[in-house]
Amino acid sequence: MGETILKLDKVTKVYPNGTVANRDINMEFEKGEIHSIVGENGAGKSTLMKMIFGIESPSSGTITYKGEEVHFASSLDAIKAGIGMVHQHFMLIPSFSVVDNIILGDEPKNGIFLDRREAVRKTQEVSDRYNFELDVTEKVSALSVAKKQKVEILKTLYRDAELIILDEPTSVLTPQETEKLFEQLRSFKKQGHTILFISHKLEEVKQISDRISVIRNGVSKGTYRNDELTMEQLTNLIIGRDLESDIDRYKTHEDFHNEKAAVIEDLCLERNGKPVLDHVSLAVKKGEILGIAGVEGNGQLDLVRCITGLEKTKYEGKIMICDTDTSGMNIKGRRDLGMAYIPEDRMGDGIAGPLPISDNMISTYYTRDDINTKLFMDNRAIDRISNELIDTFAVKTESNKTSVDSLSGGNIQKVVVAREYNTRPKFMIAEQPTHGIDIGSAEFVHHKLIELRNSGVGILLVSADLNEVMDLSDRIIVMFDGQIAGYFKNARNVTDQELGMFMLGASHQTPEEIGGALND
Amino acid sequence: MQSSLFSLSFLVTVVRLATPILFAAIASFIAASTGIVNIAIESIMTFGALAGILGSYLTQNAWAGMLIGLVVGICTALLIALFSMRLGASPILIGIALNTFADSLAIFVLYQLAGEKGTSASLPTPTLGVLNIPVIKDIPILGQLLSGHYILTYVCWIVLILLFILIYKTPLGMRMRACGLNANAARTAGINVERLQVFSLVLSGLFAALGGMYLSLNYLRIFSKSMVAGQGWMGIAANGIASGNYGVLLLSAVIFAAFRAVSIIFSSSTVFPVDLVSAIPYFAVFCFVTIASVINYYRIKSGKVEEQ
Repeated sequence: MGETILKLDKVTKVYPNGTVANRDINMEFEKGEIHSIVGENGAGKSTLMKMIFGIESPSSGTITYKGEEVHFASSLDAIKAGIGMVHQHFMLIPSFSVVDNIILGDEPKNGIFLDRREAVRKTQEVSDRYNFELDVTEKVSALSVAKKQKVEILKTLYRDAELIILDEPTSVLTPQETEKLFEQLRSFKKQGHTILFISHKLEEVKQISDRISVIRNGVSKGTYRNDELTMEQLTNLIIGRDLESDIDRYKTHEDFHNEKAAVIEDLCLERNGKPVLDHVSLAVKKGEILGIAGVEGNGQLDLVRCITGLEKTKYEGKIMICDTDTSGMNIKGRRDLGMAYIPEDRMGDGIAGPLPISDNMISTYYTRDDINTKLFMDNRAIDRISNELIDTFAVKTESNKTSVDSLSGGNIQKVVVAREYNTRPKFMIAEQPTHGIDIGSAEFVHHKLIELRNSGVGILLVSADLNEVMDLSDRIIVMFDGQIAGYFKNARNVTDQELGMFMLGASHQTPEEIGGALND
Repeated sequence: MQSSLFSLSFLVTVVRLATPILFAAIASFIAASTGIVNIAIESIMTFGALAGILGSYLTQNAWAGMLIGLVVGICTALLIALFSMRLGASPILIGIALNTFADSLAIFVLYQLAGEKGTSASLPTPTLGVLNIPVIKDIPILGQLLSGHYILTYVCWIVLILLFILIYKTPLGMRMRACGLNANAARTAGINVERLQVFSLVLSGLFAALGGMYLSLNYLRIFSKSMVAGQGWMGIAANGIASGNYGVLLLSAVIFAAFRAVSIIFSSSTVFPVDLVSAIPYFAVFCFVTIASVINYYRIKSGKVEEQ
């Protein structure tokens, strides 16, 4: 291959609190290659990318771009140098049009005025040149997730990025959309762009990369040509041990006599005059995990908000939790029926950050008799319960009085799961329960969910991670465009390609088949 | 002034009363556009009004006085920027501090310079006048509506148009709105969010000071304590109702002014107690803000808009 476009030399990043995110990273990126950077969550991939993109600056070491040592003070410098980044969480303004989002920061001008016509022409031209099939005058809020990602990529191309960093770009896409993205990335490569592809999905990395660099615990484990590396070798490099997927061992089927933990009938919800939930009916049986697969934004979030009582907009239909109609009930009422909820937004909805672990361990059942005396809360009981939970859930902390937001993501999630576990639920909603946490903690959370299921709890699992849904679920529902598009009675007999077709809306079952979600 | 509802002179009164509220409304709007909550508008209006009068008295030139008032308004805004963005204080607390401080400072300064606690009446001060527009002033009805207003009312109209162009037609305006809507997205697009926020605060201070000086240098021609009388808050309320819609912003400000006009008319009648009548505009603000939030609640509930 050809010339080096970007070179990292002994790049180290130490945060003020002493955390070493990257240590002595040496890497070289060649012009016109697709170069993947893989590693576990928290291995230091994101920090490294932030340094390349000028959001963070290295504590020591040098970054050389196109033969010159660079010190980017902000992402603006990186953008000017020709580096673009597509962030994992979209950096878009929903109420702006596609054009406005793309030109933001580098707007075509006519005197002092914004030249809208030129902006539209220029963005449409870039979009067409790379075959994006986008109407640039549309509002971003009206776009699908895949299209929003296209807008993000287009933003970098509009600014003539030669080096494009994609941070976990496939985490929100279906297998089919991922395939399309890869085609596009290959065509960028042909046009001379260099792609830095960050991912923890190894199949995809093997599929798309020319070369692969591995990071473990902030240290580089070397760069390899894709064709000289097997999947097993790659896995070993990433986690430093063989990964045994032992979830199947836990997959047992105990019979709870078809009792229903929750029943949802004909749930409809409208927003902006558009249906976001369209006659959704399903039942979660005791002792089973019902998985909901689907691309983000196809109604899963709204479904969960309706069931938990978080939704402010009035919905139609019936939601029964443990045989009780919940209409008019607030969140506490529903929880009192036996509902537990692991929310997707861990930091925002899952915990009260500055408060100690002990308080966070009881916050959803603080009125319960065993932690209250007649007048005051029983601090001794709270200490005892929280310490027990810390032990059972292997939360790494000095004490139960440590503020919960000082823990790592995985440990915070363990606190949330421990608390919901201890509500003694009959029905649990687990929303992206392992999103963004390390493999060890994720495995732990999975085992706890299985344990709950085996003890007779009905679990509704919502996840964008197809592997998670397929590994844990007994039955699977695919949501598309606010509807149940597919229902699979036996989660073992379905492939990710098959689910993908339903997630994209390319397939749709008959109402009779879908009816199984409620009636089986 | 003899005027009743549904008359031309009522409309003229509304135009006069609308000017300071419009200034306050755009002061709140421009700060909010980049995501800054400026609740110190009331006090900046007071500072601007006082500085304008004193500047005019000291220089014996109304325009020089206005310039000094503007500088004071901008400096106050920069003070807010310094405390909130550099030193990490809450802009709400700074706003509360300034608002509590403003009237007392005004009294202190007046007493030092004029020997009076309430007004600047004893200081001989040049002030700004009215503007009669040739040709237009002779057209019936239209002439009375468009001509013969205070100079700063015309300044206000021009500023309203320029602000619209800035916010909706220029790259700078687009960047400012982007900061308010999603600061992270703006930042990754290479925009210096903090710089734009300071800029919007400076404009906010400038507009608020103009609103204050309309009252002191132009409309009443003296400074008297508590002359701002909640008009800064009315501007903030108008911005709250508008939630980013420029048309609704201006309309709300004008409606509040209309209620002030109504209260002035009724205050000359002997039927109602004066105190009750002078509460009308404030009660109207209360009602409109309540109605706006109730409407918003039902729009969320019926799924017309998404929860913010």
